[in-house]
Amino acid sequence: MLANVNRRSLEAGKEHMAERPSSPAIALLLAVLLVAPAACGGEVAPGTSVRVRAAVTGDEGTLNPYTYVSGFPGWNLLMLQYDSLMQLDKSGVPRPWLASEVRVNADLTEYSVTLVEGVTWHDGRPLTTRDVAFSVDYYLNNAEASRFARDLMDVQDVVVTDDYNATFVLSDPSAGFEMSALADVPIIPRHIWESVESPSEHQFEGGTNIGTGPYRLIEYVEGRSYRFEANADYFMGAPAVDELVVIVFADDAGVQTAIRTGEIDVIFERIPPEQIDLLDAQDPLDIALGPEFTTQMINYDASKRPFDDVTVRRAINLAMDRQDIVDTVFLGAATVGSPGWIHPGHPSYNPDIVAIYDPVAANSLLEEAGYLDSDGDGVREFDGQPMSFEIITNSPDSLRLRIAELTAEMLAAIGIRTSVAAVETGTWEQAVWPGFDVNNGRNYDIAMWGWSAPVQADPLRLPQLVTSVPVGGFLNLTGYENAEMDALSGTLGTESDPAERNRILGRMQEIIAEDLPFVLLLYPDGAYVYDSSVYSDWEFIAGQGIVSKLSLLPPSARP
Amino acid sequence: MTVTGHRQRATTRTALRSSRLSSLLGLTGVVIVGALVSAAVLAPWLAPYDPTERVARPFLSPSWDHLLGTNDIGQDLLSEMIFGARVSLTVGIVAAAVALLIGTAVGVVAGYYPRRLGSVMMRGVDMILVLPFLPLLIVLAAYLGRSLLNTILVIGVLIWAEPARVIRSQVLSLRSREHVLAARSMGAPDRWTILRHIVPRTALLATGSFVRAVSNAILLEAALSFLGLGDPIQKSWGSTLFWAQERLAFLTPAWKWWVLPPGLLIMMASLGFALVAFSLEERIDPRL
Repeated sequence: MLANVNRRSLEAGKEHMAERPSSPAIALLLAVLLVAPAACGGEVAPGTSVRVRAAVTGDEGTLNPYTYVSGFPGWNLLMLQYDSLMQLDKSGVPRPWLASEVRVNADLTEYSVTLVEGVTWHDGRPLTTRDVAFSVDYYLNNAEASRFARDLMDVQDVVVTDDYNATFVLSDPSAGFEMSALADVPIIPRHIWESVESPSEHQFEGGTNIGTGPYRLIEYVEGRSYRFEANADYFMGAPAVDELVVIVFADDAGVQTAIRTGEIDVIFERIPPEQIDLLDAQDPLDIALGPEFTTQMINYDASKRPFDDVTVRRAINLAMDRQDIVDTVFLGAATVGSPGWIHPGHPSYNPDIVAIYDPVAANSLLEEAGYLDSDGDGVREFDGQPMSFEIITNSPDSLRLRIAELTAEMLAAIGIRTSVAAVETGTWEQAVWPGFDVNNGRNYDIAMWGWSAPVQADPLRLPQLVTSVPVGGFLNLTGYENAEMDALSGTLGTESDPAERNRILGRMQEIIAEDLPFVLLLYPDGAYVYDSSVYSDWEFIAGQGIVSKLSLLPPSARP
Repeated sequence: MTVTGHRQRATTRTALRSSRLSSLLGLTGVVIVGALVSAAVLAPWLAPYDPTERVARPFLSPSWDHLLGTNDIGQDLLSEMIFGARVSLTVGIVAAAVALLIGTAVGVVAGYYPRRLGSVMMRGVDMILVLPFLPLLIVLAAYLGRSLLNTILVIGVLIWAEPARVIRSQVLSLRSREHVLAARSMGAPDRWTILRHIVPRTALLATGSFVRAVSNAILLEAALSFLGLGDPIQKSWGSTLFWAQERLAFLTPAWKWWVLPPGLLIMMASLGFALVAFSLEERIDPRL
């Protein structure tokens, strides 16, 4: 099933959104992921070669593991040429790829892999486990300028049994190793890289870009374009797109103009919500829509009055009309936030948790807890002071600024007065997360906040957000503490049974939804525009978008 | 004789025509400024909606209910334009007043003590004048942070140099007038002479500078807000343009009702004050 959306299904999704606030966001997701028929249009006569022109807005260097620039879409373009041992499927779960099989021992310290036989590098040499072991050593020995060394930090040794079998031995149990390392680290050829002594100083040319991936980079014009040619001998089958040209644009406005005039066939970056309908209305453009794991949320300092009182936090949570924010600021192109943190499109989501909007209940909660408006100015008081706070947000994120405005409006309805302060990103970060170290405390009352996708994509990182600071909550920005949460986090990291891990995660989501260490408002959806008359089989990987090798392989070769 | 007479009559005629033209332009300016000021004052009664309230769906095209459509979160754009006049005019007038205050102080002191103190001060003024203006404004605004007060201060401290020069030259000529010399020779203290004889006589000239400064300040406020360096939550014409840019209205038909009206209003306000200033200066300026 593809995540492609034609105009009809997008509208169907919107109609559903109109019946707010009863419609949960999962309905939109379902409409998008399941109801949507597979690709429309774009029938390509057999035998003709398919050429796709894509746009990005920044140069990505020579696109090898040491020269690509951005995490997105740089890493995604890199992985068109290289493969990892595992590959995320469309719901974002790691599946065997270069490794035909991955086995893990009971205490999560040994991952054994068996390679697919007969895989060759672009230059015809065979891939063996010696390349795998070499890759790990190489990344660890050349740790600067590479994120892959961080992924492999816990690897003590790679024991090679024969050409196709090897075992990763880890220093600490790691339940997330498949996601964070096996599905992330590109395997590089030993015969090419052993002569590259210091990759951060090496002058790379295209010749280094030998991988096992479905595409070869055959031309790179700095600051202008990349040309990829399909690898017809790819082990999962020849790609469906024969040539991919990636054009580097100077800015967003140029990209938006180019897709409208047909100079490009797809944008390898998310498009803003207000452009979705406009572009979709234009033939032959279509939109691919799907879940992203970035977040927009309210943080408050839960260690001080009045936010240390769970009643106040619950009232704030009830006062938030998430559907209204999704419809107003994102024009429906976002998913209503689960108060339990994990995205409804994520395999670890606990379906019992739903967001409720009930300002009346919120008001009576505050009323009963003694937060009264004794002087009749419309603002409640706590400890003799008015409940009047500043919401800080970072001004360059204009959608977040709009969310802050709506939040202020919704808080006013329960007698909490707030003013929105838009400050520089640095100032905002220093207030919420001084020195990027939670031990430094917090300098804010209420802040709009958001985490990037990796924090949520791997649910095993959840303890970092919600356990108390000494126990390992190094992303716990709100000063929240709960003993049961700390205990659950401890067992989560060492539990080897995936079903049991999911049960623990389910319970943690329940506690978060009751205790509200923060109020999760929404997850923006990813939206990508493409020309369906050129190519339309784009695969939306949950949390990753359409820029991946899966999009360019024939549907039968996708996991 | 005749030739001179002819020439004299011709000059008189041009002078007459130019003075009539200048008063016509001045009148136009007064009408524009008057209209905008009354819109600002009467905003709560003129505007069909509260501009801070979300009254309809976002991104609506113009209709009878919303003559200029709605913005990206469903606030009425016409009401935003009407209330925006308040911020734009307030910033313009207050920033110009700040500039005039600094400018007059510097101009009077530098003109009254022209030798050492004056020349040092005027080199300072020259420095302000040669500094690349907009970049400096942007750096200052980014450094101080976003608020209405900061916007006013930043603009005010950057546009005082011109009024300072104009006023200094007036003071230079005033201080050598006979009554001033007389007062000084009778031992009047400087402070008294300045306040009694100098400052009141710069007032007319200052008025002209002030109105011109208002015109500049309105443009600068719009520029700052458009760049996102004003307070993006304050409803001003510049911040309307900022949001239009942020939500890519420039790429869609929405520019006609979202970009054009604030643009025209900024132009009108600045033009209105500039015309008034022009005509005032025609009358006041002693043609030094």
